[in-house]
Amino acid sequence: MIYLIVKNFFRSKAHGIGLVLLLIAGLISLEIGSRFLKKTEQVSVKTAQYQQESILRNVSYFDKEMGTLMYYLKFGLENKVPNLAALSIGQRDIFPTVQSVTVRNLEEQRFSTDLTNPLYQLLGNMDFSFVLIYFFPLVIISFGFNLISEEKEGGTWSLVRSQAGSPMSFLRYKMGIRVISVLAVLLVLLLVAKFYLNIPMNQHFLAFILVSVCYVLFWFALTWLVVSFQKNSSTNAQTLLICWVFLNLILPAGINVFQRWLFPIPEAMTTVIQNREGYHAQWDKPKEPTLEKFYARYPQYASFVHPKELDFSWLWYFAMQQLGDEEAASEVTELKSKLRQRLDLSKKVSWLIPTVHTQLTLNSVGLSDQGNYLNYLTALEEFHEELKHYFFPKIFQDSPVREEEWSKFTLRVFQDEYAVSWLKTLAPFVIFMLAFLLWATTNFKTARLN
Amino acid sequence: MIEAKQLSKSYGGQIALQALDMNIKEGEIFALLGQNGAGKTTTINCFLGFVEPTSGEALIHGVSVSNNPLESKQYLAYIPETVMLYPNLSGIENLAFFSSLAGQNYSEEKLKGFLSKSGLQESAQKQRVGGYSKGMRQKVGIAIALAKKAKALFLDEPTSGLDPKASNEFSEILKELSGEGTAILMATHDIFRAKEVAHRIGIMKEGQLVSELNAVDISANELEMLYLKTI
Amino acid sequence: MNRLKKINLLAKQAWVNTIHRRGTKGLILLVNLLLFFSLTVGYLNLSQHQNLVHGFGGEVRDKWENSPDKHPHRMAHYGYLVFREKFPLAFFDFGMDSYLGNVIFLEAHKQNTVNFSEANLSNGLLRFGEISAGMILQVLIPLLVFFWGFDLISRDREQGTLKILFAQGVQGPELIWGRALGLYLLNLSTVVLPFILGFILLFLHGEQDLLGQSVAHYLIMVLGYLVYFLVLCLVAVWVSGVSKSSKAALTTLIGCWLLFTLLIPKVSQVIGQTWYPTPSKIEFDSSVEQELILHGDSHNPNDPHYAALKDSLLRVHGVDSVQQLPFNYSGFVMREGERLSTETYLSHQRALVELFKQQQKIIRNAAWIDPFLAIKNLSMGMSGTDYDMYLHFQDQAEAYRYLLAQTMNELQIDLIGNRIKNSSDPSAQLSKEYWEKFPDFHQAFLPTAAVIKNQFYSILILALWLTLFSCLVWAFSNRIKAF
Repeated sequence: MIYLIVKNFFRSKAHGIGLVLLLIAGLISLEIGSRFLKKTEQVSVKTAQYQQESILRNVSYFDKEMGTLMYYLKFGLENKVPNLAALSIGQRDIFPTVQSVTVRNLEEQRFSTDLTNPLYQLLGNMDFSFVLIYFFPLVIISFGFNLISEEKEGGTWSLVRSQAGSPMSFLRYKMGIRVISVLAVLLVLLLVAKFYLNIPMNQHFLAFILVSVCYVLFWFALTWLVVSFQKNSSTNAQTLLICWVFLNLILPAGINVFQRWLFPIPEAMTTVIQNREGYHAQWDKPKEPTLEKFYARYPQYASFVHPKELDFSWLWYFAMQQLGDEEAASEVTELKSKLRQRLDLSKKVSWLIPTVHTQLTLNSVGLSDQGNYLNYLTALEEFHEELKHYFFPKIFQDSPVREEEWSKFTLRVFQDEYAVSWLKTLAPFVIFMLAFLLWATTNFKTARLN
Repeated sequence: MIEAKQLSKSYGGQIALQALDMNIKEGEIFALLGQNGAGKTTTINCFLGFVEPTSGEALIHGVSVSNNPLESKQYLAYIPETVMLYPNLSGIENLAFFSSLAGQNYSEEKLKGFLSKSGLQESAQKQRVGGYSKGMRQKVGIAIALAKKAKALFLDEPTSGLDPKASNEFSEILKELSGEGTAILMATHDIFRAKEVAHRIGIMKEGQLVSELNAVDISANELEMLYLKTI
Repeated sequence: MNRLKKINLLAKQAWVNTIHRRGTKGLILLVNLLLFFSLTVGYLNLSQHQNLVHGFGGEVRDKWENSPDKHPHRMAHYGYLVFREKFPLAFFDFGMDSYLGNVIFLEAHKQNTVNFSEANLSNGLLRFGEISAGMILQVLIPLLVFFWGFDLISRDREQGTLKILFAQGVQGPELIWGRALGLYLLNLSTVVLPFILGFILLFLHGEQDLLGQSVAHYLIMVLGYLVYFLVLCLVAVWVSGVSKSSKAALTTLIGCWLLFTLLIPKVSQVIGQTWYPTPSKIEFDSSVEQELILHGDSHNPNDPHYAALKDSLLRVHGVDSVQQLPFNYSGFVMREGERLSTETYLSHQRALVELFKQQQKIIRNAAWIDPFLAIKNLSMGMSGTDYDMYLHFQDQAEAYRYLLAQTMNELQIDLIGNRIKNSSDPSAQLSKEYWEKFPDFHQAFLPTAAVIKNQFYSILILALWLTLFSCLVWAFSNRIKAF
């Protein structure tokens, strides 16, 4: 019987077409991912190269005074893109991969944006996660919506019921072949991805695979549930499509609006204002308080003093710059905490909406979500601190420019970490699937199918 | 009233209708018998203008269907094998819709009259058609024909799936219509019903009208024998 | 019985039949509510944004005017913060607003990026799209129309009523137009009230100086949507007419929807990126820096690149040191430097914008086969949330920056002595009156004529789609089989 069910499934042209379309869309998305990886790779190679060139050029040009040189020199920190990000590009096309900073105040620099075409950002990438989240369910729906109703409408249902002892096993086999064929396409795609995109087999990739599989199973469970009500084909198709529209379009977009309303971020603008006041206002103020504040922040530089007779020294200049950062500090903390709150909220809500949960989890393991960006911001702060502590003494005592070994300032790489919490990752799927299956079983029981 | 002249239709090489000649006068009921695929439905479709004949001509009230499709439709009404109608509208609403499409404007009283005349009990007239039985839907179909005051009525297996009582009522209505001068062409498998209702009976085979006889000249049993022999 | 009357009857019947179907009224209500909700939320967001921007703008202006007496070049570096205002219609269609920066720091010598777009502050959710009236009208309404329309003819065929319709004298074009209009009526029932609400919201908007323009934009946009919807209805009914079964029609229509709203936009985006790759920021900066370094350092009066300039100035004025010049020499050099660096930057910036425009042209061309992209572009354009409106802002900000830097340089040239040593010298400080005299930044929006010119193609494409389908309906309606 199984053999005949399989044969019947593959004899239908629509099934073959559905699977092939999925495969093609998936392969295209892998190609898009590979292009994305190449592009980021290029950016980091070029940045490293330009950084060297730029340092050498500036060194040859401003070789008289360390302070002047350090006004110009930029050092980059790369937010390492794992190959897995190619499957779920997430926010990576919005946040720059490399940020280059001078030792001047950080706030003026760290939020500068990449060159991007906003229309393209709006349209978004067709990465693998998109194909998975949007297209797989549609094929699953089209395979499963008339699981029973096609038999009823074709008049074979009463035959099936009179022939088979329990039609349930027949239905399970029928559903099973659909589940297996879709999962097979998914796994083939992931296997191709593994080698084509050279993705290392680690817990992140494993989580990616499991989440993808769970997501596919979730939609099958939902289809199974809808089918269990034994309505006609068009009711089933419409119910499932409405689910799709709500889960993929209306609910996520609604949550987005909601969290924006719940956590407005005027700090994004006040940060800029505070920073500008903090720094520029110092020029017209007495120098002592500025320096006092600087010494209070960094006691280790107390030994350097601003010569009273001078109107300008680099010590005073960088002390002013530092004040710019400090004035904005509370706003920045607030900004970051609101970003975290937004992220936390959406992660919590995502327990209820598997599409959102899938997207956020895939972005998390691909290190392409906002969490990664926040970590990178912190890393950039540390990197900036480190640069300051390395160069401040040299600037303040005006070490000769030529004595520094400039070639060692290559592009720094930030490697983010993400620990997969298996329970949080998989539990929402399991809960939904169990609930759907139980409900479906009760429905089948009430209909006396088993 | 309903006239076919050397009416032929072929699909590719397949002949569906071959040089059919037929003339049904006012008040006459003509029953077409024949196996599935013998050409009964194609004949009706030619008269309705759904199918363009390969050669020959179909005339209704002397108007050529191919040349004046719109005018010819003014004189005819049609009830398909399964009239599903619009399930969300009531019987009377369905009737109002179809008859106003044909250009008639009737008061509700008149519409009710048509429905009652075709045998639909008054209590059902305002109910949604979704809950109607097949017989009730057929009656609305008849009412549509009545309302159109059609001179020619085409029926495709009108009694298939009806219970004997409904079927009998249906026959009565047809007789009444023919009494008022309507020419009726019906395709059917029901030999006994055909013998009872029709004035003339034609048997079709492979697109041809192979025999034609008056209903009064033959008994139902003889007709069945002839049918089985012919096909 | 004339044609129009039959069309009218068929339309009314399609309307009544669908409205009586279970769930239809609920859906209409739901869509109305969704649209009301998103219009209101969009409007509140817009007001909040405008208030914020005006508040911050006022704060920045106050601080500027109340800056103490100081050297003008200090003011040039103190600079100005400019916050992007939104066009009064931005609440209707968010367009690419969320991907556009909102604040830019303007200072001498340096072109900063416009930072803090909403996308910078959002997580992966943004990628599911944003619920705005525009999104609902462009994406969800088509789906709804296809749902209501897929069986408008095919079901008649399946239940046999199509034969009766034809027997009653209905002809193909009448059938398609009638059903399409009935569907259109249903469609309108979901959007008319929200359109009226949108219109009212325009009048509630605080800044009434743009009222005339925004009303004009709104009317054009609504007209565009009405054409778009009519095209959708014709497509739905036509597909229903030529499909073998209702199921086939539904599959085809859903396929079209996926193709139009998801696939074509994304694929053309990929094509655009492949054909016209965007340079990375570092590449861009580096090439600007490379060129700038050739012009020398205008901050350094002894810069060798400015030696020739110095020599010629000394010669013309017959003096032998810059201190003897009748104007402030370093201001003069900086003015020259600002001019050169801005020219350099702008030439690169223009090339970049040109590249972006090439990329967008791909999308615009894709709109020929995808009416969704056409209405999307039109809607964004009219709502003032498209790239052209943004560029207009960026250009104004850069022009203002240049004006600020050069005004400060002029002040330095004319009013600051040549012998002062540095900017904190009291004699080198100008009174704050000069700051007050410098005009505030006022963002202007593209005039309607320019917007229409930008959107000419979208309008043309929509008109062509309507014409094309009207013709298809007449040409192919005899292909509708009665059985």
